[in-house]
Amino acid sequence: MIRAILLYIDPGSGSYLIQVIIAAILGVAFYFRNLWWKFRSFFSKNKKDHPPKNDSENA
Amino acid sequence: MPEPLHHPASYRDPSGFVFQAGGIYYRQVNQSYAADYEKLMTSGLYTTLVKNNWLIEHHEIPENLTASADWYKTLRPARLDLITYPYEWCFRQLQDAALLTLAILTESIRQDMILKDASPYNIQFPRGKPLFIDTLSFEKYDATLPWVAYRQFCECFLFPLYLAHYCGIDTGKILTAYPDGIPAGITARLLPRKTRFNPGALMHVHLQNIVRPTTGAGKTPVFSRQKLMHLIQNLKSITARLKPRPAPHSAWSNYYEDTILSRQYLDEKQRLFRDFISGLPFLTAIDMGANDGFFSLILSEKPEVSITSIDADAACISRLYNTIREKNIPNILPLCIDILLPSPAIGFRNNERSSFNDRFRAELVVALALIHHLVLAANIPLRDIPQYLAALSTGWLIIEFVPLEDEKAQELIRNKHRWHLPYDISSFEQYFEEYFSIGKKSKIPGTERILYLMKKRNS
Repeated sequence: MIRAILLYIDPGSGSYLIQVIIAAILGVAFYFRNLWWKFRSFFSKNKKDHPPKNDSENA
Repeated sequence: MPEPLHHPASYRDPSGFVFQAGGIYYRQVNQSYAADYEKLMTSGLYTTLVKNNWLIEHHEIPENLTASADWYKTLRPARLDLITYPYEWCFRQLQDAALLTLAILTESIRQDMILKDASPYNIQFPRGKPLFIDTLSFEKYDATLPWVAYRQFCECFLFPLYLAHYCGIDTGKILTAYPDGIPAGITARLLPRKTRFNPGALMHVHLQNIVRPTTGAGKTPVFSRQKLMHLIQNLKSITARLKPRPAPHSAWSNYYEDTILSRQYLDEKQRLFRDFISGLPFLTAIDMGANDGFFSLILSEKPEVSITSIDADAACISRLYNTIREKNIPNILPLCIDILLPSPAIGFRNNERSSFNDRFRAELVVALALIHHLVLAANIPLRDIPQYLAALSTGWLIIEFVPLEDEKAQELIRNKHRWHLPYDISSFEQYFEEYFSIGKKSKIPGTERILYLMKKRNS
């Protein structure tokens, strides 16, 4: 059971704290996803297995 | 120039407001928004968004039409013939509006700007496709802050889509009950328990329920452009993958396949319908009780005509919307509206969002296979119907009279022992003659149903 995290002020309107938490989770997820893609592309000569150039991080 | 009418829904944004003068809608830009507006226009963002047909185009008018001290510029946006509201849209229309919002958001951030709100009221469907109409929603992007409109996006777009996906609740119904969005707490309770293990639902719904804001000193959270892009990308992929959960078999889904009436009926009706509309000089039409849009599609073959197709059944409207997106049909707008329970006027002073009655008018009103539902099923006296249709139509009416002996009518009264009388052809014609003059009249071969073409009388 997760207890309420009472650390930052959440301005209420934008759910800033939530976004920080989600971004952190996604950051981890994207890190491992890229790792997996690099791993896969190392073994594959297929172009499609290589990590896409235009990723959201490059926006 | 007549006194400009300040649009009642437009008061909330200090950056500017919408007003009407001489029958044309304008948007005033106030001094406080000047810098952001110029950035929008000069950075190339406006050009890109308009080129993609994502943002409504506008022209700048050099005069201060409202004589206000705060005036910076006056914009005249491209004309919109009809305003519709998110509680009138089907699932996929809301989904397309959400994806458009995220696409515009992504493009804006590339140009160092950001959307300061994410409301479905900022989107309209002028040519059957979503278009963003709030030109003043852009502001300079501060990369150290999270997105101010994230919660609004969730409450107005994501949560209704989630509830439709997992619980089969119509997005229109949710937004009718919660016009400003449904809160995370309520959404979390409505969603099935298994969604707690779905990463997307966990992050965007349940987390907001678990983590509570607190008053008192706290640090400003640190954010970055990359974090925001991750968040937006995640929202995009979740939103795109949601689908409306199929409702239990709807009574209208297979209306024409299941009909006891013959195939001949549909062919003959179609032939008569085409004959009635050929040479009729109308530019706008409303198809009431459009079902899958069979007759709306016939109307759309005339490219100069704009059609609004209305049906209470969300599954039917969804199918019609899918058809028009697939085939790129620009002149049909499908909407989920129940004519027995049409959209009311809501908002502050019941004045912000106008009622169905105030917005919908058409030169041609089409009411096929409808009247028996109104009288026999919904208990609306036959006498009251012509006046209603005369208020909607500014020109013509094509209506199908379904007699009591008809199989479908019999189905409707099967379990009733009383229904409004009179309900017969001569009373029908007598009541309608008060408001319309009957031009053409033809029995549909194979049935006892009669198709009428009527012209509204000038009062």
